[in-house]
Amino acid sequence: MIKYILKRLFQSLIVVLLVVCVVFFLLRMMPSDYFFTEDELIKFTEAQKYAKLERLGLMQICANCEGKGMVGDEACPVCRESPQAAKGTGYVNRSVLAQLGDFFGDMLQMRVFNAKGKEVKTIEPVSLIPYLSQKLNGQDPFEGSMKDGYSVRMMFNLGKSIRLEKNQYVTDVIAAKMSVSLGIGLVSLAISLVLGVVLGVLQARYKDKLFDHIGTGYTVVVNAVPRLVIYTIIMIAGATLLGLPMRYDATAKDPWLTMVLPVICLSIGSTAGYMLWTRRYMVDELNKDYIRLAKLKGLSDRKVMFRHVLKNAFVPLAQYLPYSILLTVGGSLLVETFFAVPGMGPELTTAISRYDLNLVQGIVLLYASMGIIGVFLGDLLMTVIDPRIKLTGKGDVR
Amino acid sequence: MKKLLSLVLVAAMLATLAVSAAGAEELKNLNTYETKARELETWNIHYSQAAADLNVLCNLIDGLLTNDNHGNLKLNAAKSYESPDGGKTWVFTLNEGMTWFDKDGNVQADVKASDWATGLEWVLNYAKNDSYNASMPMEMIAGAEEYYNYTKELTESEGADAVKALDAGEGSKFAETVGIVCDDEAGTITYTLVDQLPYFPSVATYNCLYPLSAELIEEIGVDGYRDITWEDLWYSGAYVISYYEYTNQKVFTKSPNYWNDANCKRFDTVTVKMVDSASVAFQLFKNGELDHVSLDQATLQGIYNGTSDAEYKDYLVEARPTKYSYQIHLVYSKNLEDGETPDVNWNTAIANENFRKSLYYGLDLTNYLARTNAINPLSCQNYVYTGNGVAFTSDGTDYTQLVRNELGLEYNYESYVRYNPELAAEYKAKAIEELTAKGVTFPVTVDYYISGSSDVAAQTAKVLENIFSTCLGDDYVVLKTNTYVSSLANEVRKPRKASIYINGWGADFADPINFLGQETYNDTAAYYSNAYSNCNDNDDPDLIAAYQEFTDLVIAAKAITDDMDARYAAFAKAEACFLNHALVIPCSYEVGWELTKINNYSKVYSMYGMQAYRYVDWEAQAEPYTTEEMAALAAAYAAE
Repeated sequence: MIKYILKRLFQSLIVVLLVVCVVFFLLRMMPSDYFFTEDELIKFTEAQKYAKLERLGLMQICANCEGKGMVGDEACPVCRESPQAAKGTGYVNRSVLAQLGDFFGDMLQMRVFNAKGKEVKTIEPVSLIPYLSQKLNGQDPFEGSMKDGYSVRMMFNLGKSIRLEKNQYVTDVIAAKMSVSLGIGLVSLAISLVLGVVLGVLQARYKDKLFDHIGTGYTVVVNAVPRLVIYTIIMIAGATLLGLPMRYDATAKDPWLTMVLPVICLSIGSTAGYMLWTRRYMVDELNKDYIRLAKLKGLSDRKVMFRHVLKNAFVPLAQYLPYSILLTVGGSLLVETFFAVPGMGPELTTAISRYDLNLVQGIVLLYASMGIIGVFLGDLLMTVIDPRIKLTGKGDVR
Repeated sequence: MKKLLSLVLVAAMLATLAVSAAGAEELKNLNTYETKARELETWNIHYSQAAADLNVLCNLIDGLLTNDNHGNLKLNAAKSYESPDGGKTWVFTLNEGMTWFDKDGNVQADVKASDWATGLEWVLNYAKNDSYNASMPMEMIAGAEEYYNYTKELTESEGADAVKALDAGEGSKFAETVGIVCDDEAGTITYTLVDQLPYFPSVATYNCLYPLSAELIEEIGVDGYRDITWEDLWYSGAYVISYYEYTNQKVFTKSPNYWNDANCKRFDTVTVKMVDSASVAFQLFKNGELDHVSLDQATLQGIYNGTSDAEYKDYLVEARPTKYSYQIHLVYSKNLEDGETPDVNWNTAIANENFRKSLYYGLDLTNYLARTNAINPLSCQNYVYTGNGVAFTSDGTDYTQLVRNELGLEYNYESYVRYNPELAAEYKAKAIEELTAKGVTFPVTVDYYISGSSDVAAQTAKVLENIFSTCLGDDYVVLKTNTYVSSLANEVRKPRKASIYINGWGADFADPINFLGQETYNDTAAYYSNAYSNCNDNDDPDLIAAYQEFTDLVIAAKAITDDMDARYAAFAKAEACFLNHALVIPCSYEVGWELTKINNYSKVYSMYGMQAYRYVDWEAQAEPYTTEEMAALAAAYAAE
């Protein structure tokens, strides 16, 4: 089993790396002008534009002319954009592989904080060894430039946001958003799981009766009607009939009240999903011979339903449970946009539309990891619930 | 008799207002909103040129001057200012007792005169501020351009770290070079300008001349300040930020130890909620979660016609015009769809003055204005280039009135005055004759670009197409609407694919040069000439002559610095020349409708700069103002 876990983890790591690399390369294929705002494109001089691209790590100072654009009295042949240009730009494109190297190389970073806990500088990976050797030798790596009381911490680093939350660490941006999405997502998942499974069981128990038809009607309506319509109805009904706030507000007197409508909207679809699948698996199980045998042996309906049917029917549902839990981190684009929830949902699309490279990379890395880990944990959970399922060994394994 | 009648009317309205105001509870906590596209991107006031940022930041740090509700300059951090030499040197004297404090109100340092030098050094330092906001000081303050170039060259030769280490201290390169002298003891800041610039005090309301504490830089470093957040910021203004959640909301709380607390009125809190659209904002207003809402056209018409939410009809209030003056910018050097081949047909046609004048006089834009204001479209009419309220003569006359006098156009709220079909037909006939001889084929296609994702823009473009078709005829010009995906600059403006743009300019300071200076010929600093009209690239001699005539008049007007009335009169002549040649077609002002609990006439009303969103001295009540109440407030305001 350990061998299997290690193997899966290794495979997962490779897949995540591949996904990140593909996104990284794709983002670098965009025209560089997209990294500027409309105003910047017009107001920036060429030199300013190149300087910004250099800061983003997309360009580097031309080694041939050392950024001057001239070699002697001649235009630098390396960074000259056209044969007619009288001067080179002083910058050349940076290799994508070097950028990728930086991305992974800078993932661990040391940050220096002053006595008040405010970050004042970072130590680049190339300076880490000199820093550590000076530190170990009892020397002051900052040569007195830092005031007393500073501290140095090792942090996970995915770069800084270049547009959405300009110059803020991507990890900080994601962490703040993630916590909001996770809170709302977990509550709605719990509600939909409990409601969905219970109602699904009842539907199976009273198959082809009124309750079953109502439940089926609910799942059909939820899946057939566009979510936006459902959310609009919930929003207006919740606000006008129940007086509930229409948008998330962590500063409200009762912040939990502002989460009611988003949680309802998030739960409504997944409840229908759990109802549908619970009912289906339960009905499948109910038709199996061992259930008939159990009934013939005189086991009560309740015991049959919960001890045998539900336990077996829940196995396929359990496979996707870890994935669903982890998916809550990603939030919901529609619900979070609709109720102004400051979560992860709209973050990726917004980051893409504003060409915020580092943020896109960070979010893709997160989503890819979550997806793969979720499936992996689902497999493990299945083996826990149903020990007959084997993930390793020869022959009849998953 | 007329005067007596109007006085009686004002008195009656004031009486109405007094009766209603007596029962209205004052609003202590304001809930307002912005659309999500206008979310703040940086907390560094020196590093931003975006209105979305400055609307927030102007509340957090006090500049030398601000504006009152009539748009007049008002003392702020400065308790006085004067120019001893007619406008070349300006001395600002600071109030005593101003402090920098953190978000919790803990005092960090005194606000000193030298903070203005530190702020200006930051703006002009190439390595620190990436040239944001550097252009105005470079144009106006002696030695500023030299210092900027010095830091830029030093960055290239020595690297950014060496330049980031520069400061504004005594004996520094900045102190030696730049025309600013700060005396911390006397609390005076003396700016020496490149020339006599009588409008310079209005620049003191703008962020390029905002202070920065050297102690803050010492505490968090240069990179720390560039990347600063609301949690680490040092405040000196009327509000601190007590809560911020990106794309959700920000809460301003009145600063606990604000130096000017006794002399100004502030809300306890102002909550700015980020919403997706005007329709969501309206729902929030209905639900009591917002205290004002600008109405989109569908909602407005529903209320006005009584088909939906009719209970709000008595509360409809026409908003005051924003500072933006919208123009139809004509492109003089345009390319075809491929973005490379010159569109000779268009370029030849638009260089012809008769062709331009046929558009200028031939378009009745009333229906287009109705897209902004369906109830009173003519509230949005605009016949001049400069925005209203930017400059006033000594007798209080708005500068734009001088331009309208020169043009012979006066606002009329019953018809679109500039539209003159007979005159347009004359110009059209002449243009067809002259241009046919030059090989131009008709109809001339007018390529107009809108965002592909905007339904509103698509509907507006359809209205514009109809106006072109009805007013000028499909045999003459055809407006063709095209779309871009995400960037007008990259996809349209750089490849020069559009024939016209409709966009607005809002002034940064109180002088017509801030408008007209964007359109001058052969001037690298002229924003619209270089970025939109590309007038420098059309070699038609008549067009060049027209532009040159206008540019010469602007230069002559700019040189008048000792007599403001004469200066404005000269600018008005230049602007009239610009419009008489139909080099641009004035289009509209933004005047929408809203439901509000805020007295619009108590708000800072600045038609230039960045002070309009300063939540100081605003009056607001717990219930929305009725149309009548707001009309009474407007009358009282006009009578002030």
